[in-house]
Amino acid sequence: MTMLLAAPALLLIAVVFGWPMLRYAWLSFHADSVLTGLEPVANGGANWLRLAADQRFWLDAGQTARFALISVSLELLLALAIALLLHQRWRGRGAVRALTLLPWALPTTMMALGWRWIFNTPYGPIEVLARSLGLNSLDLLSTPSITWLVTVFADVWKTTPFITLILLAGLQSIPDDLYSAFRLEGGTPLQALRRVTLPLLLPYILLSLLFRLAQAFGVFDLVQVLTGGGPAGSTESIALYAYLNGMRFLDFGYSATVMLAGFLLLTALILAGTLLLKSVGLLRPLDR
Amino acid sequence: MTHESLTHGPMTRGSMTPGLMTQRSLWIALLLVWSLGPMFWQLVSSFTTADALVNDQLSFWSRWTLNNYRDLLSTDPPFWRYLFNSSLVASLTTLLTLMLAIPAAYGMAKLPDRWKGSLRAAVVGAALFPYVLLFLALLELARTFALGNNLIAIAIPYSALSMPLALLLLTAAFEALPNDLEDAAKLEGLSLWQRLRWVLLPLIAPASASTAILVFLFAWNEYPVALTWLSRSDLLTLPVAMARIAGSSTYSVPYGTYAAATVLGAIPLLVLVLVFQRQIVSGLTNGAIKG
Repeated sequence: MTMLLAAPALLLIAVVFGWPMLRYAWLSFHADSVLTGLEPVANGGANWLRLAADQRFWLDAGQTARFALISVSLELLLALAIALLLHQRWRGRGAVRALTLLPWALPTTMMALGWRWIFNTPYGPIEVLARSLGLNSLDLLSTPSITWLVTVFADVWKTTPFITLILLAGLQSIPDDLYSAFRLEGGTPLQALRRVTLPLLLPYILLSLLFRLAQAFGVFDLVQVLTGGGPAGSTESIALYAYLNGMRFLDFGYSATVMLAGFLLLTALILAGTLLLKSVGLLRPLDR
Repeated sequence: MTHESLTHGPMTRGSMTPGLMTQRSLWIALLLVWSLGPMFWQLVSSFTTADALVNDQLSFWSRWTLNNYRDLLSTDPPFWRYLFNSSLVASLTTLLTLMLAIPAAYGMAKLPDRWKGSLRAAVVGAALFPYVLLFLALLELARTFALGNNLIAIAIPYSALSMPLALLLLTAAFEALPNDLEDAAKLEGLSLWQRLRWVLLPLIAPASASTAILVFLFAWNEYPVALTWLSRSDLLTLPVAMARIAGSSTYSVPYGTYAAATVLGAIPLLVLVLVFQRQIVSGLTNGAIKG
């Protein structure tokens, strides 16, 4: 009876999350593009062979992983510092916490164009500042070796508040007595951070790491609007490549293949990360 | 400063010297500049004339204008239309999600443990999933069932996409309620519906509020599904409309107007975040801890 209450919601989840994966698995063994009149025609493993040899896909996969790993690492470090600051008690803390939450609440596409203006050459404020300091033009949005860092910056700006909140909840779960005891033993604040705070915060750190890595690996809104994947494809992500294959090149069979491959790569990345953390013993505190 | 404040947290132990306090104020100021600076720049740009945006030699008094806002409200469709569309979609999504998730969470909370474990793992997996990868199959569904360009229909995938988080939050809330309460209501002869409506629902109201605001924000900000499901310009939601302005002309985006759009688009969210700060915080942290 109670199961019946849950059925509609679970069915909806199954349709919207489960069906696409089955559909992609099926589509990835079919040609379905303008060449076939947008009708699926079985083509054996041709899509997968094409993917294996597709340099653009592997380049994008590397770029996506680079983006996800670097943004999430920076977000964690920054969020830890901010959470420690917000965990202290001072007047106006509540208001500051609400205000720092704003970047997270804004639509990504909205700020993406904001960043395009701020990093614009030659009129953006960063460029104007650089010029007034006598520097050469930075060309932040048209230099392949730099532009991906701008996307990292924009992601860090937007999602650090999310991790900060998780870590703040973690900090609040640590009893004050532990710190008093540690101080009585003669520990310094820095030692307390290393030996009390960080170990107890670990579950929260790992959790936000897992969630954010998965989300950052699917980065789409940001690069689609901020850079369009450019310059020279240097910020193209797997999701954007899949989108272009489907919506611009109208090659649904290959688009499905790219998305399924992206999902498999993400799963592999998370499994590898879990094994790595396990092998260095970092996951031991989580076993109950 | 209270005694408590001096002993709280790892960094504030012992007495706080004036030097340390200044240092902290500096960090707080830096944090605020980092968080609000980019939005402040949008605000300034939105009141700047097109000439002044590309010419920093103009005198201070000739730089300012309200034209960007006037242009924004006189386009076709006018900008407020996107705000209306987003509000409609986000409200419908929130309503539909809660209507499905509350009974479902109650059902899940009552399941025997061995079922619950695997079901919860599946729901957590769905919550982690980067849903952008679903867009192609969802677009096919929209075409098959003729759901495209329909602001009511798009609430269905939106509800589904926010359902995992909603279920995790609400199941945790139901599990936290003492069993005696419901048993007592049962003894009083209340039906399942009456128990839910008059006993349990009021008790999980805080969790429902947190869930509602998070779902609302998700639907308000969602981009890939809206991008592929909606194409009529009078039906666009805010994120798609913003991106469309961005894509209209890569080299000559009308930045003043665009900045004004950012400001108008940010105001509802500003109000939401400031008013519902507590619900957002507890929703995100409970989602993390109990999920």
